[in-house]
This record gives sequence, structure tokens and C-alpha cells, in this order.
Amino acid sequence: MILTSFVRIFLFASQSFWRNIWLSIVTITIIVLTFVSINFLIVINVISGAATQIIENKVDISLYFKPDITEPQVLEVESYLSSLTQVKEIAYVSQKDALEKFRKKHLQDQMIIDSLEELSANPIGATLQVKAKNISDYPAIIGVLDNSKYNQLILDKNFDDHKVYIEKIKSLSDNLKKIGFSLSAVFILIASLIVFNTIRVAIYTHRQEIAVMKLVGATNWFVQGPFLLEAIFYGVIACVLAIIIVYPLIGFVQPHLNNFFLTEEFSLINYFNDNFWLTFGLELLAVILLNIISSSIAIRRYLKV
Amino acid sequence: MIIFKNLSKIYPPDVAALKNINLHIRPKEFVSIVGRSGTGKTTLVRILIAEESPTKGEIIVGGWDITNIRQSEIPVLRRQIGVVFQDFKLLSKKTVFENIAFALEVCGTDREKIKEIIPQVLKIVGLENKQDRYPRQLSGGEQQRVAIARALVHRPKILVADEPTGNLDAFNTREIVDLLLKINEFGTTVLLVSHNSEVVNSINKRVITLDNGQVSSDQKVGKYLL
Ligand SMILES: Nc1ncnc2c1ncn2[C@@H]1O[C@H](COP(=O)(O)OP(=O)(O)OP(=O)(O)O)[C@@H](O)[C@H]1O
Ligand SMILES: [Mg+2]
Repeated sequence: MILTSFVRIFLFASQSFWRNIWLSIVTITIIVLTFVSINFLIVINVISGAATQIIENKVDISLYFKPDITEPQVLEVESYLSSLTQVKEIAYVSQKDALEKFRKKHLQDQMIIDSLEELSANPIGATLQVKAKNISDYPAIIGVLDNSKYNQLILDKNFDDHKVYIEKIKSLSDNLKKIGFSLSAVFILIASLIVFNTIRVAIYTHRQEIAVMKLVGATNWFVQGPFLLEAIFYGVIACVLAIIIVYPLIGFVQPHLNNFFLTEEFSLINYFNDNFWLTFGLELLAVILLNIISSSIAIRRYLKV
Repeated sequence: MIIFKNLSKIYPPDVAALKNINLHIRPKEFVSIVGRSGTGKTTLVRILIAEESPTKGEIIVGGWDITNIRQSEIPVLRRQIGVVFQDFKLLSKKTVFENIAFALEVCGTDREKIKEIIPQVLKIVGLENKQDRYPRQLSGGEQQRVAIARALVHRPKILVADEPTGNLDAFNTREIVDLLLKINEFGTTVLLVSHNSEVVNSINKRVITLDNGQVSSDQKVGKYLL
């Protein structure tokens, strides 16, 4: 009997859905747009996070030692730096390797190569490449070095190349997030109002059936259930459509991302696949909850039992 | 079967529709309720099916005090009281069969039971061979008979008819009244609200007259006064 009733409520809900099909389509469209804008927000978040991480991984401080600093001295600095809690790893490039690198880099430039040959001593100092655990730790590390006795051994410290990029990404993604957030908020608001109105119209369309139902002693959940279920339908259908729309969209964006980051290691599609239930599941739950709230308000206001 | 005790109803802000009504309607009785327009007859019906709650007093149906009935219990009450109105309240897009089935469907009755009950109630109202017609293909009297059939699906102990013949001609009116009398003979308590003095006078059963929200007369075998 419970099952029979549930099937009937389901049938009534779908009848109501079809009876005002154009209204249903409009409602679903708006909810789809809501889903898409929320996913846009997620995409922005994921991309900016990935971009920052990719760039952060490239950030390090290069400490160029004076050419007359010996290897033991450099290694002493290395072990000193290793003892700092902010430091993640240190790469040591010896004088010889540094020279080799330099040579390779300027292979085309005969003049530089020639002048290198003329020098008896190695003019290139050793290098330490220091990676911090956290991007914000670099100033502290530099600060420590500046105030240490080792400072005089160092010819030059190279940092801040990437800081500008990170800042730019951050401000760009902050702006995009603001847009996405406002867009989502507007769509959520519109969607709630539309669902409210659609259910109101559905109740109006069915006022005779409702009157009869009440007269013959249908229980409240039988009278109200179909409208609540109809609102849930909208959420579910819109969610499925949103998934169908979002995947091709991210498929379209992916090659551009690969070009931009010059790497294929970051995949939006993988992100959405890995977090499918978390993103779409949560979004669906939220939208259903929202629809239940708006339709309940409509039911309470327009469906006096 | 039905007891009204010191019942008053004031529609906000100050329309006193019923004033201190005291009535006792016994099981299997056939009661006509008459009175001028706006004297509270429909209000009495609406309180009986818990569409309105009384402002004062008590109402007891079949030993059940429904004065402060809970929202969730109203459906239980309505399944025990069949109601028909002047405007039939049939669904125009459903056939006779579907209209009656609808009343059972929304109460969770299963398919087999519905198929079993509908021929029975259609037989009572004499519409066995018109179950596939739409309301617009029926006369007013036939439409009202469908409404009565629908009111009977839960085998109610009480049948309330609020001006059931208001829209009908003399011939159809007679048929509906005869049908109500027949249903009463089967053991159902019938409450007939009517304007029609000829009808009421021909029934020769209890007549309660309301005047200005009060019971002005209550005759065992009555005539339409006023
Ligand atoms: N919902 C309401 N709100 C306010 N006043 C109402 C309401 N319903 C009815 N009334 C008033 O209560 C009084 C009794 O109304 P009711 O409908 O019970 O009369 P009635 O005897 O059924 O009349 P009729 O014979 O015309 O159907 C009338 O004065 C009416 O205007
Ligand atoms: Mg009336």
C-alpha cells in the first residue's frame, strides 16, 4: 500500500511536470545555469590552485657564491640552511658544474667561450638552489641569510621572479571567483523564485484535483507529495543536463590549459572524475534542498489543507 | 451519530454564522436542514468535515470529539463522511470511472480493490453503463449521481449533501432525493441541506430549520416552514 501510494505520487508528479511542460523547461534551464555557474566557480578554483602550485614548484632562491669560495665553505652554508625549519630541499651546483652549465648556455656565443678559455681560474662560483616548504617562507630565509655571517660569501641572491606571476594569478582568480560567485548567487536566487512560482502554478492548475483529494480524505503527504517531488525532479533532471554540458566544456578548455601551463600533468577532467560524487552529488543535494524549501513555501502559502 | 453542543461559529472579525447550536442526530436518521440563505447551513457542514473549526462548543461524530481535531486526523474523519455539493466537483478530464477511482487512488487503495468497489457504487447510483463517459457527456442529475457514488467509496456512515439539487430540474431533483432516501435505507445517516420546500415536504422525515444562525425549529416529521 505504501508502495502503491508512492508510485501514484510519482505519477501525479510527472503528470504535473508534463502538464506545464514549458514552465518545467524554463525551470530546468535556470537550474542548469545555476549548476553550470557553480561548476564554473569550481573550475576557476581548481585552475588557479593548480596554476599557483605549478609556479610555486618552480620558485626557489639561487645563491650565487663568489668564485673564490671553496667547496667546504659552501657545504657549511648548505648544512646551516638545512637546519632551518622553512627549508624543504637544497640543490648544490659545484663550481665545475656551474661552469659547464654556463658554457652550454652560451655555446653560440663564441666571444664568451673564447674569453672563458683565456681565464686561468674558474670565474663562476658555486650555486645553492634552496626550496622552501612554503612560498611565504622565502623572505624569512633571505632575511636569515642577510643577517648571517655567510652573507659576505654570497655574490648574489636571486628570488622574486615568480612572485609577480603568483600575485597576478591570485588577483585574476580572485576576480573571476567574485564574478562566478555573484553569478551563482544570482542564479540560485532566480532558480529558487522560479521553482517557487512553478510549484505555485502547478498548485493552481491542480486546484480542482486538490479540492477533491481533500474532500475524499487523502492524507496530507498525498496532497503535497507530488508537488514536492516535482520540485525534486527539476533538480535531478537539471543536474543530469548540467553534467552533460559541463564535461564537453571542460574537454574544450583542457587543451588551452595544457598550452598555458606547458604541461599535461594537470587535468580538469580527471579532477571532475575523481571528485564526481563530491561535486555533483553535493551540488545536487544542495539544489534539491533548495527546491524543497522553495516548493514547501509555495505549498504552505497556496495549498491550504 | 452527530452531536453539536453549544456550537458557535464567528468568522473573523465578527460574522456570527452559528449561535449556540444544540443538535443530536442519531444513526440511520435522515435529516433535512433548511433555512434562508446565509443562515449558516453550509457553515455547519464545513464544521462537520473539519474544514472550519468551531469558535465555541463541541462537536462529536460517532463518539469521536473532533472539536480540536489534529491536522493529521482530518483525512480519517473525511473518509467516514461522504460529501456532495451543488457544483458536483467532478474532474472534467476524467471519465466517470476515473473520477471515482481518483478518490480511492489518493487514499492508497490498491488497484484490485478499486476495480471491485467502483461497479458496486455505480450500481447503487444506477450508472453502471456510463462509466466511460466524461462529465460533460452526462446530464446534471447524472453528474450529481457520480458525485454521490464517489462519496460512497469509503462506505461512509454519514452522507452530507449540501444543496445537491440546487442546479437540477424537478425531474432530476426527484431522482437524486430518491437516491438519497435509498442510501439512507441501506443504513447511512443522511444530512440533506436544501432550499427546496417541495422536496423537503415530500420526504416526511426530520426537518431542522436554521434562522439567523440558530435552530428555530426541529420537527420529527417536518415540513419546510418559513
Ligand atoms: N469564510 C467566510 N468568512 C466570513 N464569513 C463567512 C464565510 N463563509 C460564510 N460566511 C458568512 O457566514 C454566514 C453563513 O454562511 P453559510 O454559507 O453557512 O450560509 P448558508 O446557510 O449555507 O447560505 P446559502 O443557503 O446561501 O448557501 C453568511 O453570513 C456568510 O456571509
Ligand atoms: Mg450554503
